[in-house]
Amino acid sequence: MILNRRSLMTTALTLGAMKAFPGLSFAQARPLVFATFTGSWEEAHKAVLVPAFRKANADAAIVLDPMLSVDQIAKVNAAKANPPIDVMLHDPGPALVAIGQDLVEPYPVETSAYYKDLISEAQEPMGPAPFFQVVGLTYNPEAVKTPPTSWADLWKPEFKGRVGITNLNSTLGTGWLVEIAKMRGGSEANVDPGFKAIEELKPNLAAVAANPGALATLFQQGQIDISPGNFNAIQILKARGVPVEFVAPKEGAIAFKTTIHIVKNSPNRELAFKLIEGALTAEVQTTLMNPPYLIVPTNSKVTMGGEIARVLAKDTAELKQKFVFQDWKKINEQRSAWIERFNREIKI
Amino acid sequence: MGAAPAPRDVTSYGMGLAAPLALFFLVFFVAPLLQLLWLSLHNDTAALHWGLGQYLHFLTDPFSLSVLGSTLLLGAEVTAVCLVLGFPIAWLYQRVGPKLQTIIILIVLLPLLTSVVVRTFAWIVILGRQGIINATLQSLGVIDTPLKLLYTQFGVVIALAQVQMPLMTLPLITALGRIDSNLDDASCSLGAGSWRTFFRIVLPLSLPGVIAGCTLTYAAAITAFITQSLIGGGQMLFMPMYLYQQASTLQNWPFASAISIIFLLAVLAVVSVFTTLGRLSRGYGGA
Repeated sequence: MILNRRSLMTTALTLGAMKAFPGLSFAQARPLVFATFTGSWEEAHKAVLVPAFRKANADAAIVLDPMLSVDQIAKVNAAKANPPIDVMLHDPGPALVAIGQDLVEPYPVETSAYYKDLISEAQEPMGPAPFFQVVGLTYNPEAVKTPPTSWADLWKPEFKGRVGITNLNSTLGTGWLVEIAKMRGGSEANVDPGFKAIEELKPNLAAVAANPGALATLFQQGQIDISPGNFNAIQILKARGVPVEFVAPKEGAIAFKTTIHIVKNSPNRELAFKLIEGALTAEVQTTLMNPPYLIVPTNSKVTMGGEIARVLAKDTAELKQKFVFQDWKKINEQRSAWIERFNREIKI
Repeated sequence: MGAAPAPRDVTSYGMGLAAPLALFFLVFFVAPLLQLLWLSLHNDTAALHWGLGQYLHFLTDPFSLSVLGSTLLLGAEVTAVCLVLGFPIAWLYQRVGPKLQTIIILIVLLPLLTSVVVRTFAWIVILGRQGIINATLQSLGVIDTPLKLLYTQFGVVIALAQVQMPLMTLPLITALGRIDSNLDDASCSLGAGSWRTFFRIVLPLSLPGVIAGCTLTYAAAITAFITQSLIGGGQMLFMPMYLYQQASTLQNWPFASAISIIFLLAVLAVVSVFTTLGRLSRGYGGA
């Protein structure tokens, strides 16, 4: 091999460049792709999680690709060997589907610095929960003078034609059905009492919305005054000046774990792990807990504050006591049958 | 270079220019459609066992059939409303000066310039409990308690009719424009009244436009997922929502595929009825 000045120079420059820009050495690799949810989730992650990740990882390339859980599953399923997504975000139902279809890797719990800080309900070995979504009672304080305290209040005669619910397509709708079934002696395996309860609710029902988003807009239109509702969806409406309030019913607010997963065969395993680590830190979760995001934290080191401390829980102990977690493994077993039954029986 | 090329047959065209579009259709329309068909012919969600189970399930299930029926009915209602409301507009367009024509065409096209979501939300505001209609009727003292308009079949039909109206009006305007206005005068001078002229001359000659408008409106109305679900709500189930539920929420892709294929065939059947009518009308118009 002949070394002349030119080739030596080129080699030196290349090596220098690789040192200066480590990204060059795997120029063929694609950036880390994080499939978050659309809407307020995307905004929150773009504004808080992504900058935190970039700061901690020498500006590693990351792309947000917001889409629904079901679309994430479909995309990864279509190319299992070389998935186009590295990190997935899921509601409890789809999370179990993704795990069942062998699309996600177990979370490296031993090497994680923050996993053990999570409250026990959020510690999921196949993908930890960096956030909770909370469902409680939503009402219009201008029309409903005494704040409701229980799910049972929806059946009060004074709310004739004023109640809104969603169908079972959503996590919210399904979770709520299970909760009212439990209230009347049912369980995740037996929602018959829940269907009977909805039957009795019919005189009060003003609307069965197609999705939680549509339900929220019905408050804006004065179409409904009270409904089961997602804490975060209500905060968005509130910020826009719509008269709505959220209250956790005394039976407990329904909490859904939003879990975050490393996709199996991801070419960016290491970065994916680091992104998830970032999402678990107390710093990121604290920022996301504050306005305008108001996302319920799962790291026990986060000190609850603001609206979340006011209406949900002041600390982890109260959170554990006030939140109800459901067994989605059981729910998933029969969910399609329930959806079918809801289609047939609930006509108003 | 020397010999002049043989003169090209001007009545035939090379297929080369159509090839890119044909290829596009083949890759992005025909191939997925075949995949859909393949998927629908499986009995299990993992698509391992072949069979006609999904079709049997749909066709023997009264509930599924009722969803199909109500969707096809919805399309018929919307098409009828569009036809009844759209025809006079098209008729008027042919009888006013150029200035008014511009205004009419602008009004007809205006809905196309805004997104379907925006138009549909406007209808939520109009039909809502405290919406424009209820507020007006209440202030006039016509009603005491607000009428339920949102989340009803009536609401869906009205909203869809407005959203899809341009698809009906534009073909009608074209069809009516092609009718020689001397025919009207001839009919009148031969002693026919206005109504007789309309039914015997104008309507038959405009049938191609009516058929085209009906086909477009019908196809658009029954597949309008956004308007159907936002105005109809979660318990009024039409085929697009049923499909979405099975595919997206339940991940039951084979059944969802079977629903799409059945829906596609049902729509094709209705459209072919329209086309047959169109062919008959051409004979009628020429007679």
